[in-house]
Amino acid sequence: MSTASPVVTANRSAPLTPRRRWWPTPKLIIIIAVAGAIGYLALVPLYYLLWGTFFDASGFTLGGFATAYGDSRIGSLIGNSLWFAAGSAVLSLVVGTSLAYLNVRTDVPFKALFFAASIIPLIIPGILYTISWIFLASPDIGLINKALEPVFGPAAVDIFTIWGMIWVEGLHLSPIVFLLMVAAFRSMDPSLEESALMCGASRLQVFRKITVPLTRPAIVAAVLVMAVRSLESFEVPALLGLQNGIYVFTSRIYFVLRSYPPDLAAAGALALGLLVLAVLGVAISNLVGRAGKSFQTVTGKGFRPRPMELGKWRPVMGAAIVCYFLLTVAAPLVVLLYTSLLKFYQAPSMAALRSMSLDNYVELLGLSQAATALRNSLFLGVATATLVMAVMAIAAWITVRSRIPGRQLIDQFAFVPLVIPGLVLGLALSFVYLRSPIPIYGTIFILLIAYVTRYMPYGMRYSVTSMQQIATELEESAQVSGASWWQTFRRVLLPLLAPGLLAGWIYILVVSFRELSSSILLYSPGNEVLSILIFEQYENGQFTVLAALGVVMVLTLVVLVTVAYKLGAKVGLREN
Amino acid sequence: MRHPSILPAVTAMVTALVLTACGASPTATGTTDTNAKDAAAAKAQAVYDRINGLTGEERHKTLVELAEKEGKLSIYTSNTDMDSLVEGFENTYKIDVSVYRGNSESVLQRVLQEQQANYFGNDFIDTNAGELNIMNKEGFFYPYQGELREAVRKEGKAEGWTASRFNAFVVGWNTTKVKPGEEPKTIEDLADPKWKGQVSMEVGDVDWFAGLYTYFLQQGKSEAEVRDLFTRIAANSKIAKGHTTQGELLSAGQFGITVSSYSHTVDKAADKGAPVSWHPASGGPVQPIIVRPNGVALMKTATSPAAAMLFIDWELTEGQKILAEAFRVGSIPGATDPFADLTVVPVPEQELLANPKKWDDLYAQILSAGQEVQ
Repeated sequence: MSTASPVVTANRSAPLTPRRRWWPTPKLIIIIAVAGAIGYLALVPLYYLLWGTFFDASGFTLGGFATAYGDSRIGSLIGNSLWFAAGSAVLSLVVGTSLAYLNVRTDVPFKALFFAASIIPLIIPGILYTISWIFLASPDIGLINKALEPVFGPAAVDIFTIWGMIWVEGLHLSPIVFLLMVAAFRSMDPSLEESALMCGASRLQVFRKITVPLTRPAIVAAVLVMAVRSLESFEVPALLGLQNGIYVFTSRIYFVLRSYPPDLAAAGALALGLLVLAVLGVAISNLVGRAGKSFQTVTGKGFRPRPMELGKWRPVMGAAIVCYFLLTVAAPLVVLLYTSLLKFYQAPSMAALRSMSLDNYVELLGLSQAATALRNSLFLGVATATLVMAVMAIAAWITVRSRIPGRQLIDQFAFVPLVIPGLVLGLALSFVYLRSPIPIYGTIFILLIAYVTRYMPYGMRYSVTSMQQIATELEESAQVSGASWWQTFRRVLLPLLAPGLLAGWIYILVVSFRELSSSILLYSPGNEVLSILIFEQYENGQFTVLAALGVVMVLTLVVLVTVAYKLGAKVGLREN
Repeated sequence: MRHPSILPAVTAMVTALVLTACGASPTATGTTDTNAKDAAAAKAQAVYDRINGLTGEERHKTLVELAEKEGKLSIYTSNTDMDSLVEGFENTYKIDVSVYRGNSESVLQRVLQEQQANYFGNDFIDTNAGELNIMNKEGFFYPYQGELREAVRKEGKAEGWTASRFNAFVVGWNTTKVKPGEEPKTIEDLADPKWKGQVSMEVGDVDWFAGLYTYFLQQGKSEAEVRDLFTRIAANSKIAKGHTTQGELLSAGQFGITVSSYSHTVDKAADKGAPVSWHPASGGPVQPIIVRPNGVALMKTATSPAAAMLFIDWELTEGQKILAEAFRVGSIPGATDPFADLTVVPVPEQELLANPKKWDDLYAQILSAGQEVQ
């Protein structure tokens, strides 16, 4: 079907049956395909999870809930989890938003550092980032504690507390917020803030009364993703919490899945608890985002984002950023680099410096699957990010813009995979594709399906948030001028969505390099990915080789993301 | 107004499709088409029986001939030293080996999933005792026989599978934090309040715990005494997750003593120069040493059965040397037996298989009780 014909039909029949105009246009086909794909991807693991939760060999059961929530320590478990999740969400929100605001809206110095500061914590695998922090801030061996000892006495900071956990998790998550908020700030008309300033409001008032309310959809999305992510986080609670007996939900999910047979019922019951929270969250986020036109800052009126002059605050902010960078990015990265040059970790000393070598990197080069794994991870990362963002752009249009009944379901389904444990996803996919006539099992495509499923929720949040900022009037004018739906989408919406889509793309690219829990069950010889290699080195006790691998990953992804950013400049992620 | 109902309809359709595709229960064992499985098993069994019946040079020659004719081998494993084993094997024989490596849980889940779907992905398996016992109970294995199996340590001649190496849980320490002469001599020493905050226990070492617990009961201690002992050790302990992390933190001095390190983790770190050891300056190491076999098995449905058998022969001969170089304890005692004159206690595998929940819960209880004392 040519793209011109629907327009003709539309013009002719619009007054009579306005809605009929897009039947059977490409629009409907695309919408059905997208809705079908999301429904399918979400329902397969959800069905598997529900079945495993409610049915055992003898029929319907609620035993899983008893095991999951019947623990005598459930009170402190929930308390710790919520405290940890809320704390990390708040920390990452404050850090991510401030960095994004300063970066996009002000003339703050060291903008290049920002970029590194905002992405690197995301790239470093969780286990390495957490252990780096043990080496930095453990009361027994922490380098920071050693440095502070003359002034504050021994063990000034303790990473093995709930505050330490919040600190590490919050910083590790802040890049998601940063990317989300950068996109939101870029799409915001600064003239609104300027008018407020002209009317005599202080900078703080402007931020509180104008900036925050306008970016509320993005903030709500960030809180939602952060909260679920930290409820699910594993490395930080396992490595920092257990030492002093701070147990959270995920420690629990880990234990019920570890025993044989894996207690899918209990794991499912715990995941369903998260699902209820997530469904409520998505509903709230849509209520907030739907509140009329109030967030639509990308309108028919042109604007050019212009950085706000910080004046006398410029050097102060500059110094703050350098400090932040040194503490949260440079310090763990230097520890990682330092460890990667040693034979085993030891506190810096002359002996340690003398024993330094590149042996770990040489060993890395000698690994038979290193090249294959890097290639596969690159393919999967790029393909997953591109597919997810393409599909979610359309899904976001359906939820935010269309009037199709049931559109909210798409949003809910797209969010479901966030709460499904990776192992359950792996089991569900191998179950389905071992029986599928299409030979997907044992190929790299089963990993692609797993990754697209796992990262769909993030793609959806990035797209929905951007879509909520774009005024409907732009689409309406395009359609009045005779553009078809597809033309409008491609020529008007996509370019305007680009900052958000690119941010989501970068995020998914980076995190897909780390996916392990479903990959480990689904990969096949020849389809190894980097996270499998990391896991193998870890299992093998090769911690220093692992550190070297971490350094290589950071370098690879920084280059990739820089390229994406530079290309992104052309489609509007950067204004200069 | 046709389309408003389209979306829910599509969703419903997709749901229906998924439900029918998944059949009644995703967790039930596949009942249809067992013919494929029987046919595959019959073919492999003929080869297995033929080789199991031969001995000496004749066995080896026939096996190599058959295996090289098959030309390929698919291995599922959680063995961290598999790379060097496969390298040696591929250099010796004209056989292409493909290796899937995961943790022992994912190896088990993968085999369970594949066998239920009549997908015969692997010929050979090399993983931990617990998982091997479960798969043996499911009837996935075919017995491996011969002189090499006879030579294996008695703890390693399991039903359905054969041990190729042992994980030994030892008490290790950081030699700068625990000075020579001050090392703990017995497990009971670790409960001494002087080690407060110096000890580390691993959160998942239920099998080590069950082994030691049962051993103490057999030594005449009462349940209450054993629990009290472990609780007091836990009260001295920092809990770690994962032996690698724990080992690296022991080298770094985050704690002084680990109660259940793998001997190879400590030996490997010491070889790199880390200040760690499990052998005191004088006298023997802390005993008993709990050992857990890791083993190999032949898949009943193997498509390359001869290659699988040849690999077992390889792992139990040349492979033993490669494992020893990686500080592993092989299953066939060589000239230097690392366990000679030591009290060695195997993990009570059958008990753990029968009552997994009981031991998981008991260990978790002891750890948290100990932490509450702190």
